[in-house]
Amino acid sequence: MERIIPVGPYHPLLEEAEYFTLKVDGETVVDIDIEIGWMHRGHEFISESMTFTQSIYLVERICGICSTSHPLAFVHAVEDVCNVEVPVRAKIIRTLVGELERIHSHLLWVGLAGHFIGYDTVWMWAWKYREPVLQMFEIISGNRNHYGMMRIGGVGRDVEPDSIPEMEKILDEIEKKMDMLVKVVRDDPVLKSRLKGVGVLKKEDAINFCAVGPTARASDVGIDVRKDEPKDAYDMVDFEVIVLPNGDVYDKFVVRVLEIIESVKICRQCLKLLRTERGPVLNKVKEIPPGEGIGRYEAPRGEVFHYVRTDGSNRAVRHKVRAPSYANIPTCKASCIGIPVADALITTASVDPCYCCTERAVRVIDEKNRELHIDLLRLSREKTERIRREA
Amino acid sequence: MLSEVLDKFKEDYKDLITVRREKKDRLYFYVEDSRLREVVEHIFHKLGCRLSTATALERPDGFEVIYHFSHDGSGVYLCPTVFIPNKDNPEMNSITPIVRGAEWIEREMMEMFGIKFREHPRPEKLLTLNHPEKVDKPLRIGGK
Repeated sequence: MERIIPVGPYHPLLEEAEYFTLKVDGETVVDIDIEIGWMHRGHEFISESMTFTQSIYLVERICGICSTSHPLAFVHAVEDVCNVEVPVRAKIIRTLVGELERIHSHLLWVGLAGHFIGYDTVWMWAWKYREPVLQMFEIISGNRNHYGMMRIGGVGRDVEPDSIPEMEKILDEIEKKMDMLVKVVRDDPVLKSRLKGVGVLKKEDAINFCAVGPTARASDVGIDVRKDEPKDAYDMVDFEVIVLPNGDVYDKFVVRVLEIIESVKICRQCLKLLRTERGPVLNKVKEIPPGEGIGRYEAPRGEVFHYVRTDGSNRAVRHKVRAPSYANIPTCKASCIGIPVADALITTASVDPCYCCTERAVRVIDEKNRELHIDLLRLSREKTERIRREA
Repeated sequence: MLSEVLDKFKEDYKDLITVRREKKDRLYFYVEDSRLREVVEHIFHKLGCRLSTATALERPDGFEVIYHFSHDGSGVYLCPTVFIPNKDNPEMNSITPIVRGAEWIEREMMEMFGIKFREHPRPEKLLTLNHPEKVDKPLRIGGK
């Protein structure tokens, strides 16, 4: 007998409100439908009524977690229109801030994923180790979030040379903890049996749905804007793109944890470059000529895409924004079918749609219109507990 | 190598496409609505490009729909553009039957600009499907 489980619109996993409808037959999910638009704020339209400089601050507020990725992709788009040369020191600072953002965003996800499957220790550890990263942001920009660093033609603030040793010390500490986290993820038998083979996204589905970021890279699709179109300082630093073949939640977990280590590597190289590279951090742009430009950046969740069309005035005629979750959330249609309800939570969460800490039980309405209460989080955690006991 | 691919693409499809802007790593071109699928089929399946997204624009004389295809591995963008001269009843072919990832963005353009995508597998609203108020006109037309 098929039943419909509505999840949302205030979903336990999502920062923005979203509405998932799971169609289940017994314990198995047979279909999933996703409805968005509950938090549509009209950023594109608002941006078209603002000057380019104002728009940077506007797009920074699209996402609280990716508050570097959107402005960076936007300034890339405008720079694509006006062909401005960005000073090298500014490129390094952009890369440093972008990578720090990746570390804190992935740690946030690792923590929440741990929480959803009943590993509250992982959750508390990951969030504890995220704190020094936010302190680094404060050292660099004066803010723990919404850094306001990006400008067309450079960055708004230089990194103080005196603060570099302190940041290097913090990075050393983070790296040690991350090594420990990798061991926990790789060696824990319960974590492995809980996540291995769960919510598999096949390679051809990832390509068909045009998935991006860790969601695609865990399904053997080796795309990464940082390597494909190395802007900023990405051609000056050495790093690896992590690609894994299985497409399950476990691989997505491992991709993110290994990416944190790569990001720490990049940050360290950036700090080293900042010690020697002197010069201005902003090349002021007086005028934006008519034209069109595409800018993108590899945000923690995947490619952020901005398209700008200009007419020679100080505002965009058309500004298109595509966040990575817009490409990744529809992949749930492929990865959630045929899995048990207890795994639906972690599978929808595995694409890392922007999170919220709100918890909420979901409603199950049976055929006679009676309401049953099911807590997906409880189901998910109970399954882990079962595996742990059996192990 | 990619420049060879691009040159070959431009040569093979020179009757179908009109290049409107070309600069480093970006190729924007017009294509007739009736031949769009042919071109997209080639870009998606043969060249192995990924659809980043699509942008719709309102012009005084009609609408423009730009698809942004990324050739990952080389950083090149191919942007087939369809111009729809009809302002009152805009219509064009959907590419969702070829590229699954275009489903949401085409639904969004339908809702925002009122452009009808023929043969879209699910021509429903994306953002205001269950909106408490009746939303019966394109959201971005005449707003500015």
